Order: sequence, then structure tokens, then C-alpha cells
Amino acid sequence: MRNARTQAFRQAPWRILRQSAGSTLLGLVALLLVAGMYLAVSARLAAAGRVLLDLEDRRAELIRETTRLGAQLADLTSPERMVERAASMGFRPAHPKDTEYIVIEGYVEPEGFRAPPPIGSPVQPSGGLSPAYTETLAEWVIRVVAQLRGGR
Amino acid sequence: MTGDPGVLSGAEGQGLQRGRVLSVMVAMGLVASGLVVQLIRVQFGPYAPVFDARARAGAGTRERVSPARGLIFDRDGVLLATNGTMYYLEVELRQLNDGSRREIASVLSKLLVLPMEDLYAQLTHDWTAKGQYRIRLTRDDPRLGRLPIRLEATAANVLREFLADPLAPDLSGLDLVPTSSRHYPNGTLAGHVLGIVNQEGEGFFGVEGYYDDWLSGKSIVVERTFIPPDARLEPDPPAGVNLVLTIDADIQNVAEIALSEAIEESEAESGQIIVMDPRNGEILAMAAWPTLDPNDYEPWLVQAEADDSAITPAVAAQYEPGSTFKILTMAAALSSGAVQPLDVFVDTGVIEVGGVPIRNWDYGAWGPQTMIGCMRYSLNVCLAYVASQKLGASSFYSYLTEFGIGQLTGVDLAGEVAGQLRTPRHPEWTESDLGTNAFGQGVSVTPIQLVTAAAAVANGGVMVQPHVVREVASPQGVYRPKPVVLGRPVTPEAAETLTQMLVESLEGETRRATVGGYRLAGKTGTAQIPGEKGYDPKWTIASFIGWGPIPDPHFIVLVRLDKPRSSPWGSVVAAPVFQEVVERLVVLLELPPTQGVPLASGG
Repeated sequence: MRNARTQAFRQAPWRILRQSAGSTLLGLVALLLVAGMYLAVSARLAAAGRVLLDLEDRRAELIRETTRLGAQLADLTSPERMVERAASMGFRPAHPKDTEYIVIEGYVEPEGFRAPPPIGSPVQPSGGLSPAYTETLAEWVIRVVAQLRGGR
Repeated sequence: MTGDPGVLSGAEGQGLQRGRVLSVMVAMGLVASGLVVQLIRVQFGPYAPVFDARARAGAGTRERVSPARGLIFDRDGVLLATNGTMYYLEVELRQLNDGSRREIASVLSKLLVLPMEDLYAQLTHDWTAKGQYRIRLTRDDPRLGRLPIRLEATAANVLREFLADPLAPDLSGLDLVPTSSRHYPNGTLAGHVLGIVNQEGEGFFGVEGYYDDWLSGKSIVVERTFIPPDARLEPDPPAGVNLVLTIDADIQNVAEIALSEAIEESEAESGQIIVMDPRNGEILAMAAWPTLDPNDYEPWLVQAEADDSAITPAVAAQYEPGSTFKILTMAAALSSGAVQPLDVFVDTGVIEVGGVPIRNWDYGAWGPQTMIGCMRYSLNVCLAYVASQKLGASSFYSYLTEFGIGQLTGVDLAGEVAGQLRTPRHPEWTESDLGTNAFGQGVSVTPIQLVTAAAAVANGGVMVQPHVVREVASPQGVYRPKPVVLGRPVTPEAAETLTQMLVESLEGETRRATVGGYRLAGKTGTAQIPGEKGYDPKWTIASFIGWGPIPDPHFIVLVRLDKPRSSPWGSVVAAPVFQEVVERLVVLLELPPTQGVPLASGG
């Protein structure tokens, strides 16, 4: 066998060289492919992460703005300001003698104020993103292999 | 094997080729060995932790995320406490240059009216020597030392425009970092009830202090990796609860206006008004003077510390109650059967208890008086007689303990104190204490304690725990605390009898506390102020406790004015405040008149 290879090398050295170069290149191409895929997935993941961060910032900004507007509304409707505005419109606080009470049959007192749930209640982390954005390459390979095995 | 000397033979060529391959392999081997050695050094060498920390620092971020603090509403949904956004000024030192240092100091100095030298000094300080690459700019406060600079949204917007404008001064390196701040839209309204929240988001005093853990929620640590990149949707930290108070903002406003007017007219030093529903212990209003604006609490806090004054006066400012305490003494006597309303006591103007003579407020002798008369004319001698000769020490103090005197009420406000009651078990108790305690001397109570005890009489003998939170809304659902019965210190019959006595005594004692169409029970109080050398001859605490409408009381009101100048008497300065509050209260609570005015029918 060794003699045959030596003989072949002597007769056409380029054949052996081309074979080994081809094998190396094939491995290199395969490696580049995997690296390329990894890069592509990483790039998409990074881009998605960036979008997610932007959305979270936007959400925080909107919550801040909502809170600011709520506070502004509360400022404008505070009892002190309402009394001032009523006084400027010519009203004065009612005295018991000014008040007439009427009995209304079947009147049902409205239910009192109920507090809203707190802002920023826990969000379920699952279900919002495709696994394409969350699983690693190794997890993807394992999943594909598992699917192929299951397919058989 | 002979030939051209310049051409190598096959064996020589092979040898040369092998030599080349060998040298390349050796070179590659050396490089690979170097890499392996370096890898081992990085992984396991003495600097391995340093490399590890550097790798981790660049591979992601780790930050603590806190949820928004819960909101506080009044019982009708008026927003009392919410969250605003303030901005810290931070500087990324590695982005600074000589020009930007000067420009940042100059712009901030003009915009915020701060000394430029101080800002420039912060920007030129060698922070990097301490391993610090990002700093938060601070300002000097003459009273509180160095504080971080915090900007309102308006100032922050101006700076943002500067940062975005390429023609504006070079502020590179400057960053606006938003942070949550507490905002109280109604300013001083119910400030003492709400309490304060400091710059670190911690609540103190009032509701903010008592419910701090609930309101602040739980912060979580969020880790994001850059290598490999991360795109996970992080869960929000568990949010703080929203609270609905029992406070009615309109009633609170009425109480605060009435109190500020009373303070102005009587020139009193301070004062409180508490309005409570005796049926369930809900505090409808709790006003205090001097007022507290929780948005700007720092000067108030410094002043309160300097004066050694109580932080939440309604639950912490203890005082000798004086004649309003007679309600409890008479309730105890009636409940035990020691006296009846029409029992006659002959007032000679003085009684000796434990060797100490006790006299009336006017040093006069009022002759034969029924128990109603004793209450109407607020006779110290009569009440001292009832406590010492009809009730006895054991029974008297047993009732006071049942009323919760000298104990915490458990109201859900931070900083409550228990007051002081010396019972016969106390080593310093003397028999004379029995006589003085009977008319509210030698015993210290807080306003909330006294109003809670008196509310037991208003509520048919059932004493309910006072509280200010009506509803708690958490992510898990809504929780509404139920009223807690603290005890039944007196019988329903005694409570009703005493209420009727106080209706009569009020109508006879002072018309300044009555409201047309409504039957009200009440008692004035004028208490001397104890000092290190006995009672102060000049100053008093004028007070009034009243409830109504009788026979189904929906409110009990306590008015307290400390050191009034215009008149020392509760009947003169405190009773009209009660009247003013109740006139508005019956309208706001939609309570129709109980006498004299017939109701129209409709519907």
C-alpha cells in the first residue's frame, strides 16, 4: 500500500496534494458554513435584542408619560383647586340649611371606588418570542436531531 | 546522478521539502504551544480571577430593577400619591475632553443656578484613579450636605435639546438618567397621613412608612449578556400594591381649612382635627398644623427635629387631655352602675384625694348637681368624687385599660406612641393620681387614642380599631380589611345614657358646637400643660370631642389646639371649629337632619 502511494506520488504528485488540499478545503468550507450560520443567527439575535431593549425603553417612557398625565390631572382636580374654581364661578359650600333631602324609592347606592391593579404587573416571559430568538445553536441542533429521530 | 549542479536530485529535493515542512510545523507548534500556555495562564494562573472579571464585565450587564411604587387614592379615587420622573445628571468620564468639561460646567451652572467652580471641580477630579469611570453630579446643600442633582422634566428637556443639537455647546459625556420620584398632587392635603418617601424610595411616617414594604414591591436583578447576544423578555419586578385610603379628600380639605382658620384666629401654636366613623374605625380626615408638604419635606423634617415636635401628631403628639377625658370616667361609672345620670352630688368647690386638694376650673363651688350637670359644667371635683369614692381605683383603671389608654391603638400609621397611664401597679402611682386622672390630668394620651376610646361610647360600647387603609389592590387581587373590634369597654346602655347626657350638656354648655337640625353629643376640654416645674400657668391645650347625629352616629370629631392666645378655653376656641367642620360634614356625608326638618319624598 505504502509502495503504491509512493509510486502514485512519484508518477503524479499533484493528485495526492489535490486530495489533501481538497479535504482541508472541504473542512474549511464546512467550518465557514457553520460559522456563517452562527454569525447570521447571532446577528439576528443581537438585532432582536436591540429592538426588544428599544421597546422596553419605549414602554417605560409611555408609563412615565401616563403617570405624568395622571399626576397633572390630579393636580387640576385637587379639592383645593376645585373649591377655588367653584368660588370663582360664584358657588359657595353648601350649608345644611341649603340642602333638601328627597327619599327615592328603590335607590341603590353606587359601589364605591375600586383601586386599579398596579402598573407593571408580572409579564409572562414565555410565549412572546419565537424559539429562533431564544435557543442556542447547540439547542437547535439537539432539537433538529431529536425531530429527525422522532421522524424515523 | 551527475548533472547540472544548480538542479537538485530527487533525494535532495525530498530532503529539502521535508526540512521546509518540518520548520513550518515547528513554527506552528511553537505558536500552538504558546497559545496553550497562555490559555492555561488565563484559565488557571494567578491572574485568572482578573481575566474572568474582565470577560464578565464586557459580556453583559447586571442591574437591579425596582417596580414603580404603588399609588395611593382617597376613598373616592382622588389620587393622593403617585410617581413622577426626575433625572440624575451622570457623566461618562472617558467621553470628556477639556472643552466639554468647561461647557458642561458652564451650561449646568447657568441652567440650574449652581456654582460653576463646584461643577468644574467634579468634572476634573481624578475619579479614574479610584477606578470610577462614571459619576453622578452633586450639589452642596447648606443643611443636608452634598446631594445628587435632580432635574425636573422641564429642565431635563432643555438639556436634551442641547444634547441633540449639533450646533449647541459640546456636552459629550453628559447623560440624563431617569429615576422615579414620589409626587403628591394635592400638596399639603393629608400630608401627615401620607408620610414621606426619600430619594432612595424608602417610605417614612404615615401610610408611606407603615406600608413601605407593600408599596415598594420587590426589586429584581436583571442580567443581560452581550456575548452571546441575549434577546429575552425579562419579567417585570413584582409591583407594589395600590392603596385606597378611608380618607375623604373633600372632608380632609374641610378639616384642614377649618384648622388653619382656627390657628389663625386663636393664634395657637399647633393643632389637629380627626374625623372618624365610630361604627367601623375608618378615619375620614386627619388634619394637622403645621402642615407637611411631602413633595418638599426636607425643610419640614429639619424644623421638626429642631423643635423636637411629633412627626405624625395625631398618633404621636401625646398630651394631657383635660376635661374631654371625663367622658371615659363617666362612662366607666355608668357602666359599672356606680352612678346614675340623676344622682346628685353637692359640690363644695374642693375635694381631697390622697391628701391633695382638687378644685374646679373656676375655683368655685357649684352646689347640688346631677351627673348631667357635672358634665355640663365640667366639674373636676365631681368627677374626682365619682372616680375615688364611687368607682374606686381598681375599677377605674380597669375601665381605662379597657378603653386602651396607655396602649397602642394599632392604627396603620407609622410612629404611633402609646401615651402614659400610671396604674396602682406603677411604683410612682399615688392615690392623688386617681383624683387627677378622673378629669384628665396626670395621664397622657394621643389624639387617635382618645378619639378611639370616645368612639366606643358613640358606637354603643363597641370600640373599633382606627385605620386609614380601606382597600389594597395587588397584582394577585383586591383585599379589603375588615373592621377589628378592640373591645367592649362599656355596656350599650351606659354608652347610650352617656351620649344622651352629653347631648343635654352640650346644648346647655355651649351653643358654639351645635348644628341646627342635628342632635350632637360632645365635651369641651381645657388642659394645662405639664412642665419640669409643674403646670404651665400661661398655656393650655384647648380641645373638643363630639359625635353625631344622635341616635345613629356616623362621625366623631376631635379638635385640639395647642397654646391658643386668643382664649385658653376649649369651649371658646375649639368648639366653634367642631361646629364648622360638622356643618360641612353632614352635607358631604349626605346625612339628612334628624330633628326639626321633615324629609321630602320623591321618586
